[in-house]
Amino acid sequence: MKELTQKQVFDYLFNNGIENFIGVPDSTMKHFIDQGFKKNKILITTREDEAIGIAVGMTLSQSSSLVFMQNAGFANSLSTITSLVQLYKIPMIFLIGWRGFLKNDAPEHTKIGKIQPKLLQALSLQSKVINEKNWRISCDWALKLIKEKKPCALILKRDFID
Amino acid sequence: MIRKEAINIVAEKIGNQPIISANGFISRDLFDAYDRNSNFYMIGSMGLASSIGLGVALKKTKKKIFVFDGDGNILMNLGSLITIGMTKPKNLVHVIFDNSSHESTGGQPTATNKIQLSKIAKSSNFKVFQVKTKKQLVKIFQKIKLIPGPIMVIVKIEKGEVISKRINIEPTKIKNRFMCSLKK
Repeated sequence: MKELTQKQVFDYLFNNGIENFIGVPDSTMKHFIDQGFKKNKILITTREDEAIGIAVGMTLSQSSSLVFMQNAGFANSLSTITSLVQLYKIPMIFLIGWRGFLKNDAPEHTKIGKIQPKLLQALSLQSKVINEKNWRISCDWALKLIKEKKPCALILKRDFID
Repeated sequence: MIRKEAINIVAEKIGNQPIISANGFISRDLFDAYDRNSNFYMIGSMGLASSIGLGVALKKTKKKIFVFDGDGNILMNLGSLITIGMTKPKNLVHVIFDNSSHESTGGQPTATNKIQLSKIAKSSNFKVFQVKTKKQLVKIFQKIKLIPGPIMVIVKIEKGEVISKRINIEPTKIKNRFMCSLKK
């Protein structure tokens, strides 16, 4: 996703009630995170499940949160999602960078990239892949779901090789 | 002093202030001793009680937030000490009930009698206190009232035979009543 669009996605979510952006960085969403730093709204944690825990605490305090991570970190967090977020029905938006989407991405991302959609499905975590065209309606969809107290995920494809 | 005795003393001292308690016997002891709406029993997601506590502390700055953790739990998420140390919430009190064992899963050893958790916490900007007796425990909770956090209280306990009843409240109810208590 282009730099400008990533910044727009951040601004849109921020202007529509998401107050906290917590997670572990992923180069796929570098510009999204940079924009958050400009607004002083980013908290970087040591691991992804830790970020989810903090987001849960903030959500319990009536402050809406987004947790960002790469799909490798999402895989690290499966048990936290099932036994905390879903068990207690705690609404939050996950923004997940999808490494291994391109077939010629680095080898460590191949397997996890391939099973990424299946993992989301196995968890019954509702998700949408966002792009240049649909980001606004996808963000609206996610904002609506968390108002209904449902967690959900926005997926950002890694569509470049560096 | 066994865990349940220690939890009884601390829970009585802190009254209706918010507590986030770790999974396993710690939450069960707290539930058995003093079940209150202001207790968030984290029944799964081992390791994350202090992270949830940090999230609440950063948002509810006028309330003092307590985390009831175990040694096995905090060793699983040492990164949490780093993030707490970085954000320095003045209103967070992290209580570790330390018996150097995973008592909930059969008493397997942890590393807390071989390493110094207190040093890790100190270098992560915590003010650290260690207690061994009931008398010290009562005294320390009087003392920390006036000290800005983040504070860690390591309560050295012995393994005990006492097992408290399971928590019989629905997780969504635990959440809802905890959220209501935070509004007050």
